[in-house]
Amino acid sequence: MKIEVDARKMECPKPVIMTKKELDKIGSGTIVTIVDNEVAKENVSKLAGSLGLPYSVDKINDNEFYINIIKGEEETLNENPQVVPERLKDLVVAISSDTMGKGEEELGKILIKSFIYTVSESSPYPSCMVFYNRGVFLTIEDSPVLEDLKKLADKGVEIISCGTCLDYYHLKEKLGIGNISNMYTIYEKLSDSKNNITIG
Amino acid sequence: MMEIDQFGIVTFNSTHHAIKGESAFKSSNMAFKTIPTPREITLSCGLSIRFDLNDLEKVKKLVEDGDLSIKGIYKYIRDENGSRLEKIL
Repeated sequence: MKIEVDARKMECPKPVIMTKKELDKIGSGTIVTIVDNEVAKENVSKLAGSLGLPYSVDKINDNEFYINIIKGEEETLNENPQVVPERLKDLVVAISSDTMGKGEEELGKILIKSFIYTVSESSPYPSCMVFYNRGVFLTIEDSPVLEDLKKLADKGVEIISCGTCLDYYHLKEKLGIGNISNMYTIYEKLSDSKNNITIG
Repeated sequence: MMEIDQFGIVTFNSTHHAIKGESAFKSSNMAFKTIPTPREITLSCGLSIRFDLNDLEKVKKLVEDGDLSIKGIYKYIRDENGSRLEKIL
């Protein structure tokens, strides 16, 4: 069974909602969602990732993307290599500082390193990690946890840094991992997830 | 089809010793990482140093020369059967 979801010209998060709806309806089969922009493509892919479903993306051009999501044991007719995501969970981790907890800075810095290492070693991973205020010191090129964050990003975890904060600390040119975003996205990520952890 | 993962772990007698250990590792040329002590070793909230097992001899020397107050050195193995520890020192 193959169902096409035409989500072109749809505002975010409509493509994700439409795709989710179709996925919920079927026991097994393939959902092909068509979107017209990069962000929607990313978000629909993340949905597949968060559900642990294999998917592949065909980019026709900058305004046309086909995301094939396979549910159940249906034989795949798609010849494209599939991305089989590691399982992600519906959890957003917000990091507001480059130290963990209040107290001696030396200890706080070690604790935050420990924390992020632990996240990177604990599957299923959070779907998203948000960094704001001094938290953005952890996503820049000379971050002490860059390696762990890269590992998480490779597993499909979305890494988001607050643009205002990078700008304030003059770090915009130094971002080492993930994307720059604004308060709307940060709020959206936090409010759309069932679970949040805030560390700072 | 899980990858086999192995690394060395140095545990310390206190958090202060772990922090001292970290700076000793920093001034060496070894690749290392400060991590929370695996639960299999101790449930207390300890910090450890994770290192490449190829550097084991260098680590032993560093511990000796730097007069680091360590609790033990372990080999951490993770494969399809789960994770386990072997005490080296």
